[in-house]
Amino acid sequence: MTAPTSTTTAVVPTPGDDDGPAAPAPAAPAGPAWRDRLLDARPVLVPLAAVLGALAVSTGLAALAGATPAEAATALWEGMVGTPYAIGSSLNVAAVLLLVATGFLVAHRAGLVNVGGEGQIAVGAVAATAVGTSLPSTVAAAVALPLLLLAAAAGGAAWASIAAWLAVRRGVSEVITTLLLNFVGVAVLVLSIHEEALLRQPVTSSETLPQSSPLVDAAHLPLLGLPDSPATAAVVLALVGAVVGSVVLRRTATGVRLEAVGRSQPAARRLGVPVDRLRFSALTTAGATSGVAGGVLVASVPYVLDEGLASGYGFSGLVVGLLARGSFTAAVGIAAALGFLVSGGINLQLAAGVPASITQIAESLIILGVAGTAIWTVRRTTRTRRPWWRSRTTGRTAARPAPEVAP
Amino acid sequence: MTTTLPPAPARENDDGTAAPPALALRGVTRVFGAHTALDTVDLEIAAGEVHCVLGENGAGKSTLCNIVFGSLPPTTGEVLLDGERFAPSSPADALARGVAMVHQHFSLVPTLTVQENLLLGRGVRRLRPDRAGLAARLAAIAETLGLQVELDARAGDLSVGARQRVEIVKALLDDPAILLLDEPTAVLGPDEVDSLLATVRRVAAAGTAVVLVTHKLGEVMRVGDRATVLRGGRVAGSGPLAREGGAGTPGAPALTAADLVGLMVGREASSLDPVLAASVGVVPTAGPSHDGGPEAPARSGTPVPAQGPAQVPAPATGDPVLTVRGLTVDDADGARRVDAVDLEIRPGQIVGIAGVEGNGQSELVAALSGALPASAGTVLLDGVDVTHAGPRRRTALGLGVVPEDRHHEAVVTGLSVTTNLLLGRLHRFRRLGLLDRRAMRAAAADLTDRFDVRTASLDAPMSSLSGGNQQKAVLARELSLDPLRCVVAAQPTRGLDLGAVDDVVAHLRTAAARGVGVLVVSSELSELLVLCDRVHVAYRGALRGPVPTDAPDARDRVAHLMTGAPA
Amino acid sequence: MIPTLTDLLVASIALAVPVLVAASGELVGERAGVLTMSVEGMMLTGAFASVVGATSSGSALYGVACGAVAGLLVGVLQAVLSVVLRADQIVTGLAANALALAGTTFGARLLLERGAPVPGFSRVEIPLLADIPVLGPALFRQTGLAYVLIAVVVLLAILTSRRTGWGLAVDAVGEDAASADRSGIPVLQVRFAAVLVVGLLSGLAGTQLALSEVHTFTDNMTAGTGYLAVVAVIAGSWRPVGVAVAAVVFGLAQALQFTLPALGVDVPFALLVMLPYVLALLAVAGFVSHSRPPAGLNTAFVRQGRAA
Repeated sequence: MTAPTSTTTAVVPTPGDDDGPAAPAPAAPAGPAWRDRLLDARPVLVPLAAVLGALAVSTGLAALAGATPAEAATALWEGMVGTPYAIGSSLNVAAVLLLVATGFLVAHRAGLVNVGGEGQIAVGAVAATAVGTSLPSTVAAAVALPLLLLAAAAGGAAWASIAAWLAVRRGVSEVITTLLLNFVGVAVLVLSIHEEALLRQPVTSSETLPQSSPLVDAAHLPLLGLPDSPATAAVVLALVGAVVGSVVLRRTATGVRLEAVGRSQPAARRLGVPVDRLRFSALTTAGATSGVAGGVLVASVPYVLDEGLASGYGFSGLVVGLLARGSFTAAVGIAAALGFLVSGGINLQLAAGVPASITQIAESLIILGVAGTAIWTVRRTTRTRRPWWRSRTTGRTAARPAPEVAP
Repeated sequence: MTTTLPPAPARENDDGTAAPPALALRGVTRVFGAHTALDTVDLEIAAGEVHCVLGENGAGKSTLCNIVFGSLPPTTGEVLLDGERFAPSSPADALARGVAMVHQHFSLVPTLTVQENLLLGRGVRRLRPDRAGLAARLAAIAETLGLQVELDARAGDLSVGARQRVEIVKALLDDPAILLLDEPTAVLGPDEVDSLLATVRRVAAAGTAVVLVTHKLGEVMRVGDRATVLRGGRVAGSGPLAREGGAGTPGAPALTAADLVGLMVGREASSLDPVLAASVGVVPTAGPSHDGGPEAPARSGTPVPAQGPAQVPAPATGDPVLTVRGLTVDDADGARRVDAVDLEIRPGQIVGIAGVEGNGQSELVAALSGALPASAGTVLLDGVDVTHAGPRRRTALGLGVVPEDRHHEAVVTGLSVTTNLLLGRLHRFRRLGLLDRRAMRAAAADLTDRFDVRTASLDAPMSSLSGGNQQKAVLARELSLDPLRCVVAAQPTRGLDLGAVDDVVAHLRTAAARGVGVLVVSSELSELLVLCDRVHVAYRGALRGPVPTDAPDARDRVAHLMTGAPA
Repeated sequence: MIPTLTDLLVASIALAVPVLVAASGELVGERAGVLTMSVEGMMLTGAFASVVGATSSGSALYGVACGAVAGLLVGVLQAVLSVVLRADQIVTGLAANALALAGTTFGARLLLERGAPVPGFSRVEIPLLADIPVLGPALFRQTGLAYVLIAVVVLLAILTSRRTGWGLAVDAVGEDAASADRSGIPVLQVRFAAVLVVGLLSGLAGTQLALSEVHTFTDNMTAGTGYLAVVAVIAGSWRPVGVAVAAVVFGLAQALQFTLPALGVDVPFALLVMLPYVLALLAVAGFVSHSRPPAGLNTAFVRQGRAA
């Protein structure tokens, strides 16, 4: 084996005297240096290949829909970066995705997969709307906006805490609960804008749309002030969130403990780490950032809560979180890329008549490509095997966990 | 109790006869990454003989089994069955060619019944399993070998010994030409070992070539016809055995137990510490001249390994550091796992718990460490009631724990060595709310130096360390607690090579010499007898004994208790 | 009142059939240790393909074949990812669902004409039995496809019971793949086949939904039904009868959103939409501590030659 040439080299364990139940050393074939270097580059090359493959398929589909590759590319490009307006809307989408992904990464560090972004966005948006429509019109923006965002965070966190509580206390997989809570959360949103007793705007005629009244002016997110750009303060908010998340996970004791919990609950518990509390907080935090994403969505044009508000953002945010593989820097880049792709896709439909779902096709193909090639790109670590739907902590002999004593 | 073994069968094709060996390995090499697990191994096994493959942990024994059984292809070299080339790509291939294997950790699906498990090997591709054929075959096995199994029991509910019997019956169902046994005695009590060895002889007598893989010399000398010793993946030596009772082969120079130890560890058997000698199964008294007082069982006060510090016999007179009264643990299904255990350890004492695995030892350790709640009873640590305290509080009060399952509970393999060493005390390394990485690295460097943990880098993941170094890191973390009053070590030497066993034992003795109470749970009875002051026996969740290890008949008494016989 | 209640039951049972069929397939997959979250995508793809097949050929039977094959194809994709490539089963399952949703939405724009007639199955009354008051029509006035699918579900449960070699192999592979491998069972083949069963049954479930009930394809027409099927397997404790009961309960809850308004009961629509999911949440929260999943569920098998 030649010396590692990149930071992502698979570390080949040097099995010495142990024949115990350690993970087998990944069989790294010895080969010439260029081959090693190529193998080292796999974590970058493979996603790149997945992206290119997805683009190729999408181009083919666009052609099927009647758009020549040139037309499709032009429409996509125009929608992405063609105008300051396009760039601004792309950035706004990216901000929402980054908020969802930031929470996803925090929960994922603790070994939890938050699939519930959509429901959390929906409930966060409902909470934000409740605040944003009920504030008196005289209130200052400096009061209204923080209140709105806090309410959004609380709504999302509360929604996620249902799943978190079930995971910690009842041992139910957060994957299944957050997934189911998506459907319920979206239904809560729909309910609240269909009932006048809740958030529906006053029904004056049969034409009255099922949506909320507009938010008071003070609760509108300010624009960044870039010329001709609709980019809002959400972009800054999301970036700050990502930086904070990154610092907490990488530089603080809490971050290290979260990672220990994510990799081995029994070992973390053995070493006095408050496993249950951290898992609960991590998933609830994920709910909070998704909730804020929902708040950001209602506090942007057109400043109302409507039925399709949450649609798609939850899954795309999850995609960003998964592809980022724990890196916030990567999350920022991927969120931006997807944000541009989504805006481009909308223009693709408007300008070239290609159904906008083509961008979702591309997104899911990328995920399938990256996840499907993980055995070649991700170094196998001995993560504690976690039954997917139930977080049993120790082996077959496990009984109830001992109560945790606060430090 | 001992079983009379049938005489060794006459071997037809010992040397120079034309019949090809039942199983032959020619220049078999297996490479994992940069590590060569097996290096040009040659091996020949004749039908009807018991061929023992010996070696320390990591010598390549399991790799060899896996290659013959089709779980792993060799990197180079070939395997021959009856002189024909044999390259199985899966266990199914091997089974089809008459190669069967008894796995160390069994190959029974715990939720299926014994009958269903046995049917698994026989035509699951068919819609209707062949129950009648199975019954007939079982009757034949019961008749010739005296092995009977309970068909309707769930495999997971059986005792270890009974599961082992099912495993052997399963391997014999299709009348294999070759039977591989991988460390079959590792989890058995003494009387179960006796009956297993008797079965092995009978199977060989019926014409099957038996490969017995083990690291215990005692059993080799009792049943083996020939032995091959592996060391570091190479054949260190091979030849017929000087069997106990004089059944050695005339002609070729027969290997003695002392020869085998020398081949296994690469140094003279007489140079071994009693604990090390015990861990390879050489009873100290049976070995040649011993430099450290051969007859007297070693106690915490007797000579320690060369690198261990000199120590004086620790006074065992202080107040108990660990007092356990009536400790009872029930599992989630309400089954009693630990039954009214009483235990008391005073400063400087080393107390052992022996027993066949699955008799509640794991649960006892889990309850002591705070991982499992007690259903009844009390645990006092240094006089403080910690019965309902979590792991964090117990640690703070001075309880060090070396868990049984290293990769599951003791370390987080994906995290760095530094993080693993300091995870329990991160709060001491906070500066401005952030972690002070430099201080952490310094503290970790200090620990790895003191405990001789060898690692490429402090930032390397724990998984990159060898098992021995991982275990030393665990000891470094647990024995550097401040205060440290008591250490509970579960199977602390399992899976380690002799050098690492040596270090682990030395560290535990040093701790005891400092006045720390030490509780060692191990299935290696011989090790406990030389390391501990007294040994309890776990049996069906209860503790029996204790037996003082300086009693002349200590081994027999402990073995007797392990069978469940009244004390 | 009585005729309306009967109608309600007829519609409810009809809507429970797709959940039942998909859940019984998913049960086989999970027993073999593969968590197939893509049931939703398989159903949606099956529904889409069956409508495309039926409209383009004019034959409902041809539509059924298309739906089955489409489900199988998604099953092949999932099996390759989960079993061969050992990819994360949850992530790939969700991504496959997203792909199916986007793909069928895209395809519907290109291939389906709005309002075009879709050949489907109509209700067949079983004489005498259908005359039993209330329950008779509910159970015995379903479409021919529904009867066939229920027969398939029963047959599958029998063929994969513990009494058969196949059932033993499925359980062994899902519970303890390493032991199954050492016993000579082709673990990967069994698992691959199990995922194909999930694909086939889910595709048929989607077909039933499209050709027997809705008689057209609409975007995201399964709307979470596949996830309900996955949860039904948990709620049913991995036992065929339990799974069937859970699936029917979820199916009935889902049907209420169509049948209650028809009865004139004034309940906010959104509450009815969330009902099956709330039930599913309660079910997993309540049943989890009393049952045990296959030990190897969601764990890829790779032969560990080196470990002890």
